[in-house]
Formats: sequence, structure tokens, C-alpha cells
Amino acid sequence: MKHRITISVLILIILSCTGWIWADHAYLKPKPVTFTVPQGWPQPVYDFSQNPLTQEGITLGRELFYDPRLSKDGSLSCGSCHQQFSAFATYDHNLSHGFNNSLTTRNAPALQNLAWQKEFMWDGGINHLDLQPLAPITAEHEMAESLQHVLQKLKTDSRYRRLFKAAFGDENINTQRFTKAISQFVLTLVSSNSKYDRVMRGQDTFILPEKLGYQIFQQKCVSCHPAPFFTDFSYRNIGMPLDPVLQDLGRMKITGNPADSLKFKVPSLRNVMRTFPYGHDGRFFSTINLFDHYRKSIQQGPTTDSLLRKGLPLSNFEIGQLTAFLYTLTDTVFTKDPRFAPSGSGPSASPPKDVH
Amino acid sequence: MPKALLLLILIATLTLQAQQPVAKRSMVIAFQLYAGDQPLQPGTCYTTPQGDSVYIERFRFYVSSPRFNNSTTRQANGYYLVDMADSSSRYITLPINTAAPSQFRFLLGVDSLRNVSGVQTGALDPLNGMFWTWNSGYIMAKLEGISPQSPAAGQRFTYHIGGFRSTQNTAQQISLNIPANHRGDTLWVRADALRWFGPGFPLRIQENPVCHSPGALAVHIAGNYRHMFLVVQP
Repeated sequence: MKHRITISVLILIILSCTGWIWADHAYLKPKPVTFTVPQGWPQPVYDFSQNPLTQEGITLGRELFYDPRLSKDGSLSCGSCHQQFSAFATYDHNLSHGFNNSLTTRNAPALQNLAWQKEFMWDGGINHLDLQPLAPITAEHEMAESLQHVLQKLKTDSRYRRLFKAAFGDENINTQRFTKAISQFVLTLVSSNSKYDRVMRGQDTFILPEKLGYQIFQQKCVSCHPAPFFTDFSYRNIGMPLDPVLQDLGRMKITGNPADSLKFKVPSLRNVMRTFPYGHDGRFFSTINLFDHYRKSIQQGPTTDSLLRKGLPLSNFEIGQLTAFLYTLTDTVFTKDPRFAPSGSGPSASPPKDVH
Repeated sequence: MPKALLLLILIATLTLQAQQPVAKRSMVIAFQLYAGDQPLQPGTCYTTPQGDSVYIERFRFYVSSPRFNNSTTRQANGYYLVDMADSSSRYITLPINTAAPSQFRFLLGVDSLRNVSGVQTGALDPLNGMFWTWNSGYIMAKLEGISPQSPAAGQRFTYHIGGFRSTQNTAQQISLNIPANHRGDTLWVRADALRWFGPGFPLRIQENPVCHSPGALAVHIAGNYRHMFLVVQP
């Protein structure tokens, strides 16, 4: 009799233990996040099945994005050159500032709507979003750090071991998990709430100059800067003369094809008023300089874009209306979203007085 | 009662045993790194087919999807980095299905799919220094060293060979015949670093001390090194 009770109790314990082991521990697993495609936009090109978004993964990615320890001397994070108030471009810098007073050779692009982008960098040299962080981290004139050393720093930090465990199930930290986490965060940087978007959704209306600007845009700009991304992601030579110091041949550096000489990726115009200076090397201080380039200074060469063969005439009136339209592409919901700011800080929507 | 318990344990043990995979025959591919007809040693001077003197300090290459001609399945995770600096990296164990395979095949380099699929793990981890970050793609093979003929700093020569797009492809399909009289569980494959310099494309260090990007020079060198392998008897 006595044995029977003991055995029953033991069986009960064993059963409950196996039950616990077999159960689906939803509270221990990373919480899935659904990626929302804005209304009317195409499906993303990023393969989310290989890197499913989770709350924990995005949180880890944000920590890494804002961690200056990713650079050699701990002075620069991804967020140093990709600032939220500037739609994650570098505010007011033609070339980005790198390790030990160095300068990069190109203007930091805005980070937005990356899930729809197939190739990265001005020359499209990087063919997968997960690979992108490796370039600035290891580049001598950027963060100047080695991948080994970055992973070592993360592994010795118990906080990161916890964050990796929460995001990926165990404390193992490797290149793949590290880059996938950063991808998860930057994939959430979707800008689709500008005034332009509200007007298209029927929630707002253009004032007259914006409306006229939109019409001029549809005639003169849209073949290279089509909605919804305001770029066709192609590589084009817009007749900017070669900078004698930088000697940057653009896309040709990647393909080796002389037909690609001086071609650079068409940048998105979303948040364009926040991402000055412009051009792959930041040579245009303002949109006025850009308009002037198009109407006066296009250099005709063998690879200059066929759409610009006869220049791009723009009157002062047209420039005024176009400017009004470009302002409607500023998305302050995006630039002020607290989910994209460093953890523990408020939104960083307004630039500091002096950024150097 | 105890008899029933014993029976239960016996059944459980048998079931577990049945789940163990059946032990298969396997063969070890053993790469021998050579310079001409001598084993490759750092700090030793060799002469290339072009008459240049070389000290080889770094020699690495990817072996992808190694398999025998009569095997039906490829190795599950078939990517290996053979490295002069790591003697354990020179051995690859492969299952054999039938008695005597007549060919050993592999891709020297990394297939194009892995070049466009983001960050990989294991042998393909970018951590291994065989990946270009500014122009995505694997370095299929690497040869570095010092040569008095080199006009580069420190008399160095540096050949990082990569490129996976059609016209720039440097990955090479390699098929090696296994002699009919081959015996034993080890297949010795010699890799001759001096074959990078010719014959075929005459690679003179004076003219080309460095190759760092996909393109014509890389394709020429890859055309040379595809002939560097030879099955040898111990």
C-alpha cells in the first residue's frame, strides 16, 4: 500500500516533467514580428524566411547598431554616420568621418526601406543586406575594426550573451547571428508616412505649389526616381565630373565594365530634405546645387545617361515648385519613431546645433 | 513485476540501438601541399616555372561539395577550407557507397549561390578572411609570400583569387582519376602551389605582384591553378 502511493507520486512527477519538456514554451521563445508591407507597395526582396523577425532579434540589432564598441577605438557606432533625424544618413557631412580623423570617400546614404533593396552601397558592390555591416566595420577609414575582435568583445559581455540567447535560443555568438540581428533592426526602418504618402492614401491634400511640383516631377524626374521608393535602384552617370582626389569610378569598380564608368546608384528621394549634402561624394550642398547641376553643368561623356543627353532644362519657377514637392517626402513619423532611437533615450528627431 | 521491468528496459535499449545509423565505409582525402616536387615549407625558396624565386607564406583554398563519381548524394555540409597554417584542415572524410570509386570530384572555390546568400557559417564564415566585404564574394583561393622579383612593398606578392559572375568566374570543377590499383582508406591528393605561375598563363611576379579583385588576371590565375592537383600513391 505504502509503495503504491510512492510509485503513483513518482509517476505523477515524471509525467508532469515530460509534459513540461514536450510543451511549447512560447514564453521562452523569441516573439515573432510580422513585417508590414505598406499599402500598394511591392513585396520585399529580402528573404525573411532565412531570418524571421522577432522582438528579441530587433532589440539585439538596435543595441548593436548603436554600440560604438563595433569600432576599433570605441568611438563610432553604425548610428554615428546613420543618424535618425537625417533619415539615417549623415547630417551635413559630405564625406563621413572615420577612425582616427580619417574621411571616407563617399557620402553616407540614408537607411530606409532596405527590405526592397537588392544591392547596397553607391556602387552596388554588396549583394545581400546581411553582408553590409561587414564593410564599414572592417574598412580602414570607417570603423577600422576586425570581425574577430568585434565578436570577441561581444562574447565577453554577459549582457550580449543574454541578448543573443533571447534572440537565437542559445548564447552562441557568431558572424551570421551578429549580422542577422543588425539586419532585423534595419529592416524595420520603413519610411512610408510622409505627407506624400498621406496624400496618396487620400488622408491629406497637396497645397498648390506641392501639387504643381508633383506634376513637374512626374514629367522630369520620375523615370529615374519612381514611387514608391523614389529610385529605380539602377546605376546611372548623371554627368558629375570625376573628382581628381577621390578618383571614384563607381559601378565600374564592381563590374570591371568600362560601360559602367562613373555610374552610381540612383538614390531614393524619400526624406531628401533631411539627407543633404547630395551626390555619391556629397559635393552638392543643397537641392539648389543639384537643380543647377541638372540644368547647367551636366558633363557629357561616353557613359552619361541617355535621358540627360540634352540636359535637363528647369526654370526657376519649376525649381521652386519641385522644392515644395520634395518637402512632402519628409517623413517625421519615421525620423521621430522612438523604436528606432538608441534604447533608453528619447527620439532624436532634431539635429544637434553642431554635428562633428 | 521485476521481470516486466527488465523486459521494458531491454525493449527500450533495442529501440535506441536500432536508431543508430549503420556504420558506412569512408575514405579520407589527404591534401599534401607541395611546391614542385618538394613538400611546401614556409621560409623555403622555390623557383616558379617563370624563373622567379618565391617564399610561400600563405596558401589556402576552398574545397566545395567533395564527392566520388559513383556517390549519389553530396556531402551535407560540403565546404572545407584547406589551409597551409592548419594541418588538420588538410583531411576530409567522405563516405563511400560502393567498393571502388574511379574519380574524386570537387569544386575548387565556392559556388555562386553561396556568394549571394548572405552570411554563412563554418568554413564559409567571413571570419576566415576569405571574403571580400566591399564587393561581395568569396576569395576562392589565396597565395601569398615574398619574392625578390616583386616590385611591391616588402617584396610581397599577394594573390587573392575570386569572382563568381559568369565572365569573372574563378571557381573550378576538378575531377581527379583514382588509379585502379589504389588501396587503403586514404586518398592522397597533392596540391602544387607553383602551378599558380604557369604553364598556361605565364604569371610573372615582376609584372603582377598583386591580384585583389575579380577580373581578367584572376581568371587567368584560376585557369593555372585548376591544374595543380594530382593523385599520388604514398
